[in-house]
Amino acid sequence: MSTVNIDKILKRVQKPTRYSGGELNSVMKDPEGADIRYAFVFPDTYEVGMSHLGMKILYHVLNLRPDTYCERVFAPWVDMEEEMRKENIPLFSIETRTPVREFDFVGVTLQYEMCYTNVLNMLDLAGIPLLSKDRGEDAPFVNAGGPCAYNPEPLAEIFDFFTMGEGEEVIGELMDAYKEWKAEGGRRIDYLKKIAKIEGIYVPCLYDVEYNGDGTLKSMTPNCPEAKPRVRKRIVENLDEIVYPDKFIVPFMDIVHDRVSLEVFRGCIRGCRFCQAGMIYRPIREKSPDRLVKDAECLLSSTGYEEMSLSSLSTSDYTRFEELADRLLTLTEKEKVSLSLPSLRVDNFGLSLMERVQKVRKSGLTFAPEAGSQRMRDVINKNVTEEDLMRSVGLAFDGGWLTVKLYFMIGLPYETDGDIAGIARLAEKVAERYYASEKTNKRRAPSVNLSVAGFVPKPFTPFQWAGQNDMETLRRKQQLLKGEIKNRHVKYSYHQSDVSVLEGIFARGDRKLNAVLVRAFELGCKLDGWSECFDMEKWRRAFADCGVDMDFYTRERSYDELFPWDFVDIGVTKDFMMRENERAKAAVTTPHCRLKCSGCGAASLCAGGKCSVYTEESSLKKIRELKENG
Amino acid sequence: MAEEKILYDYYLIYEKTDNAKYISHLDFVRTYNRTMRRAGLPVAFSEGFNPHPQLSFALPLSVGYTSECELLELKLTEELPEAEIRDRLNAVIPDGIKILEAHKGRSRMKKLRYARYIVTPEIMPGSVDGFLNMNEIIIDKKTKSGIKDTDIRPDIREIALSDGKMEMILCAGSDRNLKPDVVVRAMNRYISGYDSGDCEYHRAAVYDDEMKIIN
Repeated sequence: MSTVNIDKILKRVQKPTRYSGGELNSVMKDPEGADIRYAFVFPDTYEVGMSHLGMKILYHVLNLRPDTYCERVFAPWVDMEEEMRKENIPLFSIETRTPVREFDFVGVTLQYEMCYTNVLNMLDLAGIPLLSKDRGEDAPFVNAGGPCAYNPEPLAEIFDFFTMGEGEEVIGELMDAYKEWKAEGGRRIDYLKKIAKIEGIYVPCLYDVEYNGDGTLKSMTPNCPEAKPRVRKRIVENLDEIVYPDKFIVPFMDIVHDRVSLEVFRGCIRGCRFCQAGMIYRPIREKSPDRLVKDAECLLSSTGYEEMSLSSLSTSDYTRFEELADRLLTLTEKEKVSLSLPSLRVDNFGLSLMERVQKVRKSGLTFAPEAGSQRMRDVINKNVTEEDLMRSVGLAFDGGWLTVKLYFMIGLPYETDGDIAGIARLAEKVAERYYASEKTNKRRAPSVNLSVAGFVPKPFTPFQWAGQNDMETLRRKQQLLKGEIKNRHVKYSYHQSDVSVLEGIFARGDRKLNAVLVRAFELGCKLDGWSECFDMEKWRRAFADCGVDMDFYTRERSYDELFPWDFVDIGVTKDFMMRENERAKAAVTTPHCRLKCSGCGAASLCAGGKCSVYTEESSLKKIRELKENG
Repeated sequence: MAEEKILYDYYLIYEKTDNAKYISHLDFVRTYNRTMRRAGLPVAFSEGFNPHPQLSFALPLSVGYTSECELLELKLTEELPEAEIRDRLNAVIPDGIKILEAHKGRSRMKKLRYARYIVTPEIMPGSVDGFLNMNEIIIDKKTKSGIKDTDIRPDIREIALSDGKMEMILCAGSDRNLKPDVVVRAMNRYISGYDSGDCEYHRAAVYDDEMKIIN
């Protein structure tokens, strides 16, 4: 084992604490005393990666094992990479500055498609062969997990294996299997075959893929008995019993989410048809208020953080939200800690809570109607009406808020130009609502910030069959919307359309994209999530050089097509998603899980095939309340 | 009306070494605030909707510099033994930062006029006499109104060479402040044939206008 000397180059780079380590609560072990060394890689910069909750959890879980030492690795910023390449310094871990290629495992979390070239760049910096087949017996096992791993195929030739679903339990099984394999003295392929039997593990080289003449997938077949035809995702059923870090690493630099984060629940009851997170994290599972308050106390005292936030897909859907909010506020007021409540529904309760949380400062409030017309909101199953929005915005304006942020998408399936004009109308109505009220201060002006993203069809959603608008269409729609906005209080900003298209290509991609990725990396693509680094021209060249047609991946697909990700079993069935897509076509909404079970299939992941929505006492109570209130 | 509270003044002398030298001043302030919270000290908070501990630092330390003479004043709402404050902070402070002393009362940080730095270059200059005998030493330097060509000679009190190290006593404080890396840059420019290479910078002591150590 060796370590790298970076002292010299740290003096020449911006933000050296991205690389220097030594942060409070980082785990220091004697590397010689560990049987297994695990490099946990976040394929983006330190400030992005350190904000990620999943990494904190798995870092903690792995380091609880006396036989394992898990260290962190992040993508260097451009200036640091330049210095490293100049001085021949390989990619290294933060804790002990050990070259990444000397680890037993290199585990990458895939949070968004635009980080894929970073994975290749980091492997290259580490001196690890880019393709799985080129790695020798001594190379680390390069593996991935996270939401993008649910369609692993665009990276199937790069990673040795993938983990589907929640990692807390399966990662321990992988470590145990590693020690057994070491003791057995097997070859590299033997380990991969051994773990292919573990539920949730996908080893791409154990599957053969055939294509039809039109380029679509014909078949995907295991080529050895160890590989399962379908890989089922892992979930942890009881969140109260899972390990949660008692300490977070406290960075020196200001990171994106620099605070204590409490994971309130996993999954979502809502079922928005464009939302992948709402499907892949099902079924919904909550942590109890007791456990959350305990986690909060523990983390506040071990970190000294002055801010705490709740993490979930829809905070207001937590069944014991009032109780939790009350208990947490008692704690945070005592400790002079501020509590932030993202994705909170703005109703009377929500607003009074925000008043209590924010006291004086009234920063902006965010709403996500997602679509401009009621028909379109019904299509996407966003169960919010214009009246709901106007009521919430009215409460906010009357309560003294001046700035509201509205999130919308364009390029949605079954969308017309009228739906796009509807976005402008709705935003203007929001601005007008400020002046229509007697309670608002007319000497001040409201500001309605309109943020519009291009829709990206994702696997494992009812819109996985949908066509994606090309760049020209998206640009036309952006301009159309711009022209529709007449109210000077409405400010409009939109995302780069070429990034959305590329994201969509990789989200629904197949194995043929591995070559494109490698080519894009060779052409210098990296840090694609950063607009100052993103270069669409290089990407176009990479696709052209590999003879891969971008339009093939953005096209609308038919129900009989076999998808590259169909072998992954997320619990929610393809049949359910088809039914939902049909309802979308007819602009019919589907009630959320507590109003009516729609039989999505996720219950099959739970013990006895029963979903927690219909077994948890707090959830049943909520359902009774909903029924009583009609 | 907020209740009038009796506040107790303390000041700390601390060192910043090893990896901690990469922490910028702004990040360092945040690190200290969090350390106070972890230590559970009865820190006095500022008023307002975003209360933060009342701390004041003597002289910001540049990124990459180490030091053994940093000063920090704080206010507590209770009286505590000095050694207890020091020990409770050291128990929860990140590696590379260490409280050397805690004292009751206010420090003399307002009187700070000079600082002594130890600079370790890769290559030592043969002599600095010619450099110091220049009438003026003009170098581009960051000032309050942007980067400007400035004569730094008046702000150099002393430069001595010994044992592979340079010792510099330079003006320091909010009024006139000169950092040793600027001096090294000037040496590279004006001492013909000289190239210092990468240097280590260490702040060893701070003084008042009569060159009495402030501690």
